[in-house]
Amino acid sequence: MAAPVNSVGKTSADRLQANCTSFQKKTRSKLISIPGTRPSVQNGQLLVSTGVTSLDYLLGGGLAVGTVLLIEEDRFDSYSRMILKYFLAEGVVCRHELFVATAQDNPDEILQELPAPILDDVAAPKPVEQPRLTGEPQDTLDAMKIAWRYQNLPKVQSALASSSRFGHYYDVSKTMEAEIRQAAKCHRFYLPDHITPSSAAHRVESYSALLKSLQEVIHREGFDLATPMSKSRNILRVGLHSLGSALWGDDLCCHDKPRHSHALTTFLYGLRALLRSSLSVAVVTLPSHLIQDRALMGNITRLCDNAIALESFKGSERETNPLYKDYHGLLYVRQVPHLNSLARQLPDHKDLAFKLKRKQFTIEEGMQIVSFIPLTTIMMMTVVSVNSEGIHSNVLPLQDLMAAYISEKMLCRGSDLLALPVFVPARMAELSGLWGWGGDFEMGPGTDTKVVTGTGDEFQKLYRKKKKKRYGLTSAEQHNRQKHVSVSSTSTKVCLITF
Amino acid sequence: MLSELLQGIESGGFLIIRDSCSYSGRDLLKSFITAALNREEVIHILCFDVSEEELKDGLKPSDTKRLHIHNAYSDPLGWTGHPNFTVQQFSLEDLTNLVKQTSQPKPAVLVIDSLSWILRHKTPPAVCQTLQQLRKGGAVRAVIGLLHTDMHQRGTVGSICHLATSLISVAPGVKGKEAVARVTKRSKSGKVMQDEEIFCITEDFSVTILSKPSHAEHKTNSTEEEQADPTANLTFNLRLSDSELEAKQKLTLPFVFSKEKKTALLHPGPGSGRILYEPDANDDYDQEDPDDDLD
Repeated sequence: MAAPVNSVGKTSADRLQANCTSFQKKTRSKLISIPGTRPSVQNGQLLVSTGVTSLDYLLGGGLAVGTVLLIEEDRFDSYSRMILKYFLAEGVVCRHELFVATAQDNPDEILQELPAPILDDVAAPKPVEQPRLTGEPQDTLDAMKIAWRYQNLPKVQSALASSSRFGHYYDVSKTMEAEIRQAAKCHRFYLPDHITPSSAAHRVESYSALLKSLQEVIHREGFDLATPMSKSRNILRVGLHSLGSALWGDDLCCHDKPRHSHALTTFLYGLRALLRSSLSVAVVTLPSHLIQDRALMGNITRLCDNAIALESFKGSERETNPLYKDYHGLLYVRQVPHLNSLARQLPDHKDLAFKLKRKQFTIEEGMQIVSFIPLTTIMMMTVVSVNSEGIHSNVLPLQDLMAAYISEKMLCRGSDLLALPVFVPARMAELSGLWGWGGDFEMGPGTDTKVVTGTGDEFQKLYRKKKKKRYGLTSAEQHNRQKHVSVSSTSTKVCLITF
Repeated sequence: MLSELLQGIESGGFLIIRDSCSYSGRDLLKSFITAALNREEVIHILCFDVSEEELKDGLKPSDTKRLHIHNAYSDPLGWTGHPNFTVQQFSLEDLTNLVKQTSQPKPAVLVIDSLSWILRHKTPPAVCQTLQQLRKGGAVRAVIGLLHTDMHQRGTVGSICHLATSLISVAPGVKGKEAVARVTKRSKSGKVMQDEEIFCITEDFSVTILSKPSHAEHKTNSTEEEQADPTANLTFNLRLSDSELEAKQKLTLPFVFSKEKKTALLHPGPGSGRILYEPDANDDYDQEDPDDDLD
């Protein structure tokens, strides 16, 4: 089975995007193969597993060697710490070397909490969760009367995973045994050992100390790409916990306008340069909920290659929302890199939620949350509704418009709409803000909302030009889905909103 | 959960009471002090916000042996020649010396009233680092601090509270002397527990927990209503009566094996079925490239 179940119904354009396949690239190259890595199917990059198979799938098969994964922490740093531990545990199991840097707890504490790997071939499925293939009610917990041959098979996977096994599974309730852990070589950096904190620091020195230490380890242990290839090569996994928090001496999280706003960004720049020239991978966690300056957060995201954000439901009002009762939090993919290529491999699913079970950290496509636009802001407008052929325009009165909104016909995925003739030009700014909301329930990152105005004639011309490009949308355009409108020439001013 | 916290903070714990100008958390702080004194613990208080007399007001005089108040209220910045305790002395070495001076065998509990005062004169990263070192070092068993949230930027409050193992946010309640406390507790294993309670403080600084706030009950009602029964409102009958259910259970199905045969079939030996293929003379089976003959 080359494709997962949920992509069967998609068009071929979509299936090209599905980056989950059981095909393995056949390498007849002379490169030494490093245990625990595999070349990517899309672009041949060397990938390592993050330890969480669903996260590997989201990142395009795994984490490319030489890149940085930024994890924006959840409020209480429980799940981001868990992912960091998965990453380090995967390194131990694949026999990579580890480098752990913390400012809050001793690195040994994190290393002692690593989850134990499940060393059988596949995670043992629980017989309780069986699909009801015959519609019979389950009398006892595990016996199925008719379909008993299928009792021990795992449930049909609704979680995102590639069908070829790359990573390992871990049991969170047990910690890794000491023998396995000590077999792995681990370098530690605990900030209080290296720097005595002084209250009147003009520069944040912790980051430069960390960078120097990392560079020294890479050079000494031979992870540099410059060293000759004769030795057997290994990967260095770098885990940096809670970078940017106040314990690193940085006031990024404390002040709205931090004094040393460039300290962390220069460190990330240096880190990425160091990683690109060596065989290492880094995972950085950052308490982004404390950072008030969004522009700075954007800078930090851009300086890292992969970026995900976790939002846990604990303590927020979503905890009691029945939609979310099966999950522990939401996961946002903020950035996916394009390494040696022009296009990024964005994940298909935008609403992702995660759930930490005992034997697996699953990331699933969550429910689609539709936000309703307040109807009171639509005044004095009529809507031009067009069907997909764009034949002619019907002008709907306002009441029908409201009814249509309420029935969600116009706002669901795949509908082909929307042009609003605007009678009051001053409302344009409001409108674009209003329809910026439209992005919330259909698209994810990478869309923009354009507000274009003109007369009906101009739009006819525009439509004719775009009609040629309409079919065969590239993957970039799939995300900037443009709804085209053909308007019979009218003299009213028409505002076309594309998104 | 508030009562559990009052009964004791675990060693290495850091409790922060967050208040605002609408309700002062000092009474709750004093109830924590009273509870700790009743447990025969040694307490050191750094007094920045209010004077020593005001802080001692209401506490039992018999416990003053174990209670050490360091007066940082009269001269916190050292403007006179001989200050008692200045804000610059809020560092690991000075505090450790201070606590050790009393030469008690048990490690003490440090109460800071208030952290906001220190944050105005020292940078938040330095304060965070000192607090973290105090927790990790052995001189102090636990730290309790009072923080006025409306005096600082959100990031500062967030950074300090990020370090805390337990967090109590107090707000005024609906009726006169009541107040609402939102408690968040982080255990060592990473589990987070949250609770919201209404409490009121009596004259001798003991806390009576009154009840949970009412909107918690309202939420459970709405979730029950949403679980609709899918077999209702149908034009056909999907439900089974009791006799029908019995008859269904009794039905013998074909291919029902005995339990042994089932388990034998369910747990096959290692390796599932293999495909054994012997290519004919006519078959062009090339292991290297199966499409070789397609040219």
